[in-house]
Amino acid sequence: MIKQSSSAFDKVGDKIFVVCNTIFMILFCVITLYPVLNTVALSLNDGTDAVRGGIYLWPRIWSLKNYATVLGKETIVTAAIVTVARTIIGTLLALFTNALLAFVVSRKKFLFKSQLSLFWVLTMYINGGLIPVLLLYKNLGLTSSFWVYVIPGMISAFNMLVIRTFMQGIPDSLEESAQLDGAGYFTIFVRIISPLCMPVYATVALFVAVYQWNSWFDAMLYNRMNTEYTTLQYELMKLLSSVMQQGGNANQIGDAASNTVTPTTVRAAATVATMAPIIALYPFLQRYFVTGLTIGGVKE
Amino acid sequence: MSQDKSTAMLGGKAKKPKKYKKPSGEIKTPFSWREFRKQWFLMLCSAIFVAYGVLFYYVPILGWAMAFQNYKPKTGIFGSKFVFLDKFVFLFSDDTFINVLRNTLAMGVLNLVTTFIAAIVFAILLNEVKSTLGKKSVQTISYLPHFLSWIIVTGILHDALSNSGIVNELLMTFKIIDSPINFFAHKSFFWPIVAFSNVWKETGWNAIIYLAAITSIDPCLYEAASIDGAGRFNKMWYITLPSLKPTIMILLLMNVGNVLNAGFEVQYLLGNGLIKSVSDTIDIYVLTWGVSQGDYSLGTAAGIFKSAVSIILIFIANYAAKKMGEERLF
Amino acid sequence: MKFKKVAALMMAAVMVASFAAACGKGEDAPVASGNEVVEDSEGGNAEPSEYPEDEIIDFTMFAAMPGSEINEGNEIQEIIAKKTGVRVKETWLTGQTAAEAVGTIIAGGDLPDFIDGGDGMMQLYENDCLVAWDEYIEKYPNIKEMYTDAEWEMFRQEDGHIYWANVFQNSYGENRATGHNDEAFWIQVKVLEWDNYPKIETMDQYFDLLERYYAANPTMEDGTEHIPYTILCEDWRYFCLENAGQFLAGYPNDGSVIVNKQTLKIEDYNTSDTTYKYFKKLNEEYQKGMIDKEFATQTYDEYIAKLSTGRVLGMVDQWWDFAFTVNDVFKQQGLDLKGANYVPLGLTIEPGMENRWHTYGDTVNNSSGVGVTTSCEDPDRAFQFLNDVLDQEIHDLRFWGVEGVDYLIDEEGLYYRTEEMRTKAADDAYQASHLCTYSYLPQWGGTSKDGKNAMQPQEQKSEFFVGLADPLKKCFEAYGADSYPDMIGSVVEENAVWFPMYSHSNAMTTDTPGGVAWTKMGEVKHEWLPKVVMDKDFDKTWDAYMVKYNECKPEDFLAEMQTELERRIAMAEEAAK
Repeated sequence: MIKQSSSAFDKVGDKIFVVCNTIFMILFCVITLYPVLNTVALSLNDGTDAVRGGIYLWPRIWSLKNYATVLGKETIVTAAIVTVARTIIGTLLALFTNALLAFVVSRKKFLFKSQLSLFWVLTMYINGGLIPVLLLYKNLGLTSSFWVYVIPGMISAFNMLVIRTFMQGIPDSLEESAQLDGAGYFTIFVRIISPLCMPVYATVALFVAVYQWNSWFDAMLYNRMNTEYTTLQYELMKLLSSVMQQGGNANQIGDAASNTVTPTTVRAAATVATMAPIIALYPFLQRYFVTGLTIGGVKE
Repeated sequence: MSQDKSTAMLGGKAKKPKKYKKPSGEIKTPFSWREFRKQWFLMLCSAIFVAYGVLFYYVPILGWAMAFQNYKPKTGIFGSKFVFLDKFVFLFSDDTFINVLRNTLAMGVLNLVTTFIAAIVFAILLNEVKSTLGKKSVQTISYLPHFLSWIIVTGILHDALSNSGIVNELLMTFKIIDSPINFFAHKSFFWPIVAFSNVWKETGWNAIIYLAAITSIDPCLYEAASIDGAGRFNKMWYITLPSLKPTIMILLLMNVGNVLNAGFEVQYLLGNGLIKSVSDTIDIYVLTWGVSQGDYSLGTAAGIFKSAVSIILIFIANYAAKKMGEERLF
Repeated sequence: MKFKKVAALMMAAVMVASFAAACGKGEDAPVASGNEVVEDSEGGNAEPSEYPEDEIIDFTMFAAMPGSEINEGNEIQEIIAKKTGVRVKETWLTGQTAAEAVGTIIAGGDLPDFIDGGDGMMQLYENDCLVAWDEYIEKYPNIKEMYTDAEWEMFRQEDGHIYWANVFQNSYGENRATGHNDEAFWIQVKVLEWDNYPKIETMDQYFDLLERYYAANPTMEDGTEHIPYTILCEDWRYFCLENAGQFLAGYPNDGSVIVNKQTLKIEDYNTSDTTYKYFKKLNEEYQKGMIDKEFATQTYDEYIAKLSTGRVLGMVDQWWDFAFTVNDVFKQQGLDLKGANYVPLGLTIEPGMENRWHTYGDTVNNSSGVGVTTSCEDPDRAFQFLNDVLDQEIHDLRFWGVEGVDYLIDEEGLYYRTEEMRTKAADDAYQASHLCTYSYLPQWGGTSKDGKNAMQPQEQKSEFFVGLADPLKKCFEAYGADSYPDMIGSVVEENAVWFPMYSHSNAMTTDTPGGVAWTKMGEVKHEWLPKVVMDKDFDKTWDAYMVKYNECKPEDFLAEMQTELERRIAMAEEAAK
């Protein structure tokens, strides 16, 4: 029969596909892993030597000095605490609020779902600019405080829409039957919808956590003088810009720029040092990405 | 229940299995106070969220007034001299700006298309890897470049494409060229190089959303399809891809509004004097003319222009999605 | 499964550990201040004028330049604090331009006590953020001593007050500059040595020598091919290509224009004959294969990497842009002993012309400097501190360090350092924990008040020669030079009253037609100058470039520079009365 022959054909095709796919994945890994390994190699190489270039996957002259420079800053402990705190608090807050908002706008019966969505979609494309935002935060008393890291960026339309899309894929029947049982919206959100949304929650948590972990501009802008609220990335940025002769005024810069360190290796060490902890988070979140776990519970 | 199509699918033979409801078929609930009261929780949440949004996103828009002024920090927004549309006239009467706009659009569209397709294809192919360990390792490796800053990535790219770099060496080994190509001296290479570097850095990261969406596909669908004799390609084409469609649509719609944000750092770090006319983007233009000259107003004017274009694009795209009965933003 | 658990456990452990560290830190804080009490008792009795810890004022400072933060409790900072009663916490520019950073600081309203706004200095003045210096200049002698009356006049703003003072390029007593921290045509010592140290005066002679050397030595000892000449033109560093024309014509570094001393008129060097000849020569050499094929697309990192291998024979650059990094590598690789180090040449377009590549004397750059802000609660104390840091004792602490630890004194009273001390002084961890230069507060160059030593170690003659590799010493001897400036042989003269004109063009904004023209000119030059060097048909490309250039309306820019020139001359005349 046709069916038979097509599956025989498919089996050969299948094999070819698996081989090609494997080769593709390996190539892909090589190509994406290369810059990372190169960075690691650089971070372990002597700084002066690295200036000559030509370091690929293995350090030429081993040195831990770059890591000593990066991790030896005395502010690094405070910065690490603040960063861990903002990552945890910021992620939890953002996850809760974005999920709740997504829940509201994904209710089919909700009267203003289109309007509320539009209201948030627009926030992605409008931006008042640096100074108006700074003035606003100042008047709200958010500057010179920890809360400036977690309150202003809490809801992002992007994350909200990602969650919303996922929630819209959940059959309405669940909500309806829960309502028949007398459950209110909040109960439905917490008890019925959220458990099904774990993959997307994990995704958004990862996005927010990485964003929080890597932020430094806000620390500089709103807590420039407050060392107690400094963050890891800000400390590293300070370090990097101090070892780089930055652009700007060529004529004036010469005067004080006499103690230059080579930036490439320090930058590499800084990158590796901040990358490592946040990457450790991923396998932890990956368990929510297991195929077929969730919808099994939906079947009636 | 009939709405649970996954169950229905078990026996069915439909070519295009759809797990999700078509949004076009929705019935809009008409407004009534009774309904309003019934939804009190949703209303309360909305009110709080709107208040928050107005405060943190819409209030700073007052700063747009700067675009119509010769803004000086001393006099502030309320005291600076109004120049009305001067800044916009300055922008549009400058040949360079038009050129920069072209570059931004071209790179924006190219980046959008390439990164988008790359992430989806990668996610679907990765899903076909059967070994869990292999899958997880590839996934973890693939998103690592996201954490490298552009300065590192462009540095490596510059190395690879230099006269003695690996790309030229490979091309010479295979006798495709006789003498090394200086890739950064040719205008025609620049946009593809930028697109490639975006794909290189972000494919794994962008694929995370799709991978999360793929996990919610009911395995029964694949089983049913197998029973029906569907091969691997059919399953990818008729099950995986359609299941991703809502996510794809939403991300596509959002990104359409971002085509003018083609970036700043990549172009800044990879560009050079020779190819300035294809590498400069709006953001670089604003840096040259606005920020480094202390002209806040010009930067704001360019920002307003970008916002306006984004919003128009979004409305068009959303309208089109609605007409086609696809997932939409609002 | 196991892995997940392990990962989770590790995460938890990391968090617990970091919170524990947090608590630990919190308890540590009072102990840290207790530390100082201990130190106090050590040397406290000897010096009765010392300030006890509770009387020490903490000031903050922001400098709109990248810099390294020093540790809390930095040793020399503490010594200075005890002697002056003031400790200054410095913050530096990160990830923003100076103007942006100053703009946000003003808008946010949290001004530090001291500020050096760099390019954003004018913004601070316009926003009334600065305290006038006038009465304090009279009150504090060390501050007054920094500049002559005429020089102070240059800092006076339109409202009749002085709000800041530049702290750099200001010599006490005899100028002792041994380095040439500026631009030049550089050449490797080995090339000069190969030709028995010839006299090189013009660009033609320079390239002729490079050609002959390259023909005789196409590769280095290890087989790496030589690059006779390269040009860096990445982003703002394209001055390596752009402005040699002004020097070749014998003018000093006014930056954006040249000033004709006879007519007192601003002239544009971009369109001058000299500049035309300069680019024609570069083009000629490029066609001959003498110039790096990749010059137009190389990044700064690639450029430095090339220089570091010792294969580049010559280039135009500013000393600070390449030398510190590259010389370190030469030393590490032993290339300095093979004559890879660069020396500057004072080239002109025709032989027998005077050159002004090196600027003797101080350049008063009035466009920025350190100021005290209106947020400072005790401005008098702030100015007193600015006065104190100029005391020779404190000044020595800042730049030389602690006697016996960071430097020694010989029988003749001359300061010197051992090799070990020099290495330590260059170590960044040591710099953070021990040294405190307050590098953006008032300071002196030149000769110390004792009349023997240099104010700053790098200008001490002994320090200078100790660091030189043999080939370099031989080269200096061959030319009878004692220092880098001697190699160039620039005219020794006092700077003109308007010098440097770049302090004005740097401050231009797009508010004026001149500022718009200035930005456009920069954009056009950036795009066209590499083409001018590379294209086969030089004259055709040059003409096309000139058309584009003139479309930018350079005359608007030049007119504004002329106005500024006249203003400066008038001001100087006013002050001289």
